[in-house]
Amino acid sequence: MNARTLQVTDGANLSWEEAIALAAQPLVDEKIIEPAYIDAMIGVVKEKGPYMNIGPEIVLAHARPDNSVHGIGLSLLKTNSAVNFVDREHPVKLWFVLTAIDSQSHLGVIQQLMTLLTNKEAVKQVLAADSVDQILAILKGLDASL
Amino acid sequence: MKILAVCQSGLGTSFMVQMNIQAVLKAENVDTSDIQVDHSDVGSATPDAADYFFVESTLANTVSSLPKDRVVLLKSLIDKQETKAHVNDILDKEGIQYTAE
Repeated sequence: MNARTLQVTDGANLSWEEAIALAAQPLVDEKIIEPAYIDAMIGVVKEKGPYMNIGPEIVLAHARPDNSVHGIGLSLLKTNSAVNFVDREHPVKLWFVLTAIDSQSHLGVIQQLMTLLTNKEAVKQVLAADSVDQILAILKGLDASL
Repeated sequence: MKILAVCQSGLGTSFMVQMNIQAVLKAENVDTSDIQVDHSDVGSATPDAADYFFVESTLANTVSSLPKDRVVLLKSLIDKQETKAHVNDILDKEGIQYTAE
């Protein structure tokens, strides 16, 4: 991830659908996905529930590869205010969006991402960060090329 | 023995859980020559696909066809301690040796 795919916003007025759409926007801008992929992710959540809430305050939004995806991508939106993901049981501040073109080629990205997510101290720092530069600095300190 | 991490699409979150299970087994010096860990989507997770299934807890009702005593429901997919506790339960049950940290 880089200064283009990372965003920090207040988020107090966002719905979870808007948060996912905003988190994915850099991937649309970089032509990695078509806007249809955003609708697909939101559709999966509406149908299957909040299972993408993979840990406290963290969502990993994704949908199946289809013709709205042109590459492997990862972006992150951090909302300073928690946004309820589907319901009040699932407040979220870190909105990751993952895109995959098949069932294998993105596994390296997930491995890198897990280096961050299983590091409780680093996750705490990202949750407390209020600028993109701060998040970039935290990622740089990790042994991962996120 | 086979452990299968399951998620809705079989793309991302199930692989995360697989990685965590494998990391636990490695950290505990478990002999994995007879232990297989893999990930799949909900549709491929049939009762004979594995001995144990790890599933995110809100997906519980989508795996209702699997025998409950072989299904582990995870609250967090990134909490290694939670995964470890469940893996150790299974190792105890199966009589497989491991080094407790």
